[in-house]
Amino acid sequence: MRIAILVLLIATAAFGGTFTTPPTTTNNDDSCDIALQPAATLLLSYFEVDFNSPRDTALQTIFTVQNVSSTPQIANVTLWTDWGYPAFNFSIFLTGYDVQPVNLYDVFAAGTLPVTSSNTTVPTNPTAGSQPVSNDANPNFLPGAAAACFGLPLSLSPPILNDLRLLFTTGLGAGCASQVGGLHANAIGYATIDVVATCAAKNARSSDYFTTLLLFDNVLTGDYQLIVPRGAKSYAQGGTLVHIRAIPEGGPAGTVAPTPLPYTFYDRYTRALPARTADRRQPLPSAFVPRYIESGANGFNTQFKIWRETKTPGACSGADAASQTKAMTIAEAVRFDEHENAAIITYPLGLVPLPPPPTTTAAMLAPSTSILFPPNPFKDAGGWMYLNLDNGGSASYSVSRPGFGAPGGAWRPSQNWAIVSMFAEPTYAVELPAIALGNGCSPRRPLTGTPGGNIGPAPNPNP
Amino acid sequence: MKRSLFAFALLLLAASAPAASTTNNDDSCDIAWQPAATLLLPYFEVDFNSKQPAAQQTLFTIQNISTMPQIAHVTLWTDLAYPAWSFPVFLTGYDVQPFNLYDLFANGVIVGTSADTPTLTNPTPGSQPADNDANPNFLPDVRTACANVPGTLPASLINDLRQIFTSGKTSDGCQVGNAHANAIGYITIDVVATCTTAKPTSFGYAAIRLYDNVLTGDYEQLAQVSGRQYAQGSPLVHIRAIPEGGAAGAVVATSLPYTFYDRYNVAQASRTIDRRQPLPSVFAPRFIAGGPGGLNTTLKIWREGVTTSNAVCNDYKNNAVQIGEAVRFDEHENATVVSSCLVLCPGPPPTPATFSIPAAQTSILPGLSTSGDVGGWLYLNLDNGGSANYSTSRPGYGQRGRASQAWVITSMFAEPTYATETAAVALGNGCTPRAGLSTQQAQIGPAPNPTP
Repeated sequence: MRIAILVLLIATAAFGGTFTTPPTTTNNDDSCDIALQPAATLLLSYFEVDFNSPRDTALQTIFTVQNVSSTPQIANVTLWTDWGYPAFNFSIFLTGYDVQPVNLYDVFAAGTLPVTSSNTTVPTNPTAGSQPVSNDANPNFLPGAAAACFGLPLSLSPPILNDLRLLFTTGLGAGCASQVGGLHANAIGYATIDVVATCAAKNARSSDYFTTLLLFDNVLTGDYQLIVPRGAKSYAQGGTLVHIRAIPEGGPAGTVAPTPLPYTFYDRYTRALPARTADRRQPLPSAFVPRYIESGANGFNTQFKIWRETKTPGACSGADAASQTKAMTIAEAVRFDEHENAAIITYPLGLVPLPPPPTTTAAMLAPSTSILFPPNPFKDAGGWMYLNLDNGGSASYSVSRPGFGAPGGAWRPSQNWAIVSMFAEPTYAVELPAIALGNGCSPRRPLTGTPGGNIGPAPNPNP
Repeated sequence: MKRSLFAFALLLLAASAPAASTTNNDDSCDIAWQPAATLLLPYFEVDFNSKQPAAQQTLFTIQNISTMPQIAHVTLWTDLAYPAWSFPVFLTGYDVQPFNLYDLFANGVIVGTSADTPTLTNPTPGSQPADNDANPNFLPDVRTACANVPGTLPASLINDLRQIFTSGKTSDGCQVGNAHANAIGYITIDVVATCTTAKPTSFGYAAIRLYDNVLTGDYEQLAQVSGRQYAQGSPLVHIRAIPEGGAAGAVVATSLPYTFYDRYNVAQASRTIDRRQPLPSVFAPRFIAGGPGGLNTTLKIWREGVTTSNAVCNDYKNNAVQIGEAVRFDEHENATVVSSCLVLCPGPPPTPATFSIPAAQTSILPGLSTSGDVGGWLYLNLDNGGSANYSTSRPGYGQRGRASQAWVITSMFAEPTYATETAAVALGNGCTPRAGLSTQQAQIGPAPNPTP
């Protein structure tokens, strides 16, 4: 009987027409999906460092960069404030198969930078396939790379260190007339790590970053840990960095290769370039479905670490100033409990004027009970949230083809990343990336109160 | 000058690299954190003989992020890939359901679900779950088959499960797992069309398996050491159906060269009938082996077995197979390999389908270098060498067939209670051909972009 049903089903499928289409790629670096595969850019979506406390009690963020290729690589680390201002960058020279941990506590507390050099000895390994090539063997390095990456600074001068601390705690620093970051006791921000062609004090806001420096080799991997020392109740949380691949990969710096990506991770920094997709980096999604538990004082509770694309490139001042997008709205948040009851942010009837919608910075940590999210009117302590983190778009955003604007709107959705941190006393702590409802090439989602706004996975085809 | 260089670069561009071929959501072989049709918990461990909270426990959660009701079919497999028990979970639209395996093994209970669960009225149309019979892919018997599942579990079943997952023996004496004090195994969770206890290895299972990428999930491992508690967790492995959608049993063309359930499809109308993305075989986990008082790493590894739907008692031991190759790099790029003997090398011992192993272990993994570094990373080619039970739908995967599938999780722990867990980065997706051995000139590195 079961066989008969199966045969019937197969026949139905065979003659049933075109309800699905075959996939179009099985290649390794050919999709818009963010996967755990070697990448050309790594994103540490949120860091926090208490540099004023001694090491054994300080909250610290550690990240590690790994070169999984035999060829030497240069990783350009940029530290961004929580308003999206690129405050500081440093280079890491990675010999073939190198791995380099960086404790940001060392950077902020002591001004110490990782010790790497193009002069590092390349070992002789036991098998041919595990042998790193020489440190000048990367054909995409610029001619001066060996010299530029020899004698990299090992520490920050006291004035620069002081400036760095101020920028990441007050948002104010030398050289910037206006505030470029939030006010908080700990240093808070995010970091990007790009594969580049030489060691240089440049970042995505530098005019020639994409034309002369950024490379396209998917060779970096990495992870991070947040360390919270509390004596016998110490704990850690961690995960993988966001692995953003160059699609297509390869080629020298400045190569403008066609990409089907409709826009890219660094989109808003490419306005002056002939190709808005010059970085070829996969874009990030906009909608996520993190789980939460809110059990009160003695149970598990949840915080979300959220990275959001800013609306401007994050200049010191002017129209592109970081301060212009320090407060971005969230398109929509819906809370589901374990019985599928949904809650949205509402206001009492007759309340005039309505309070302004809650806003966030580019990198932030918020408990699931924050006013950013719908309150929990239910008995259940757990459930999940639908977070459409689109910031509404910006004139700085582009797309290479139609189909990404909201009805009546002009811009693509903004990019985002969400991490779920759960903690219960005394020392239960886990951290995991939230699942995205589509990849970064998915168009803007309609609101749930509008036609077609059903919460659910993004449809397969993209424009 | 810069402009001329840039123009020159522009001229070079056209032939430099092929264009990407998809930007769609469910069209690639990449394992991403996106809704899926199958979730894999690669490793679980439950100490059901101890009392909570001292007991080591594994919890997992399944989330239906679609408006449609869905049925998740949960299967517990031993560490030798024997499907010991399956049970259905009925999920109304937007449902989330947590499970603690300690409840099952220690107390003999599992959370019940039902197609009779009331559907609520929510504040916006877009957050409104559909009725519990609104899924067009459900089979007609869902209302009755999914009423209060799995129901009360008989004591004999619980005893059997305890025995199978610790002694490795079924009630009739079949060795289908390894012996260990704690219950150890892995779990698959498939979206299906009705509630049954059918095993994914059974021929008829293809007639109920669905293809909707609507499930998400995560897991947590709770543990206690020296009286101090800690937790580790991560998302489940999200395995999408490519292409998605359609009725149970539908045979639809897929560009996947083989699938996650490949070896159970031998007798099916199509070897890719499950359409599930295959998993990779090569990983690059980081390690720290700091010794007592320091940070130390444990790897949790899932490996595809070789048995088919027709496996009988004695076959399951064959699911313990040697790994392809392991190379350890320290922080100064010094590499070590398992053995340097030239003839009649015994090779490393075989490993089961799921296991955990300290990264400092040196019978399967290479020893630490003499540099003094306690950290670095491992190149793990977990390919089991292939099997006659594996298939591919097109050429290009080598004379020995395709590589076997695997998954790796990196767990780090330091006293007193610093603990993290992350999925290891794969050096290619599951559609990538077998990686060569580094001893045979094959360079360790990311897989090339094109696959056959």
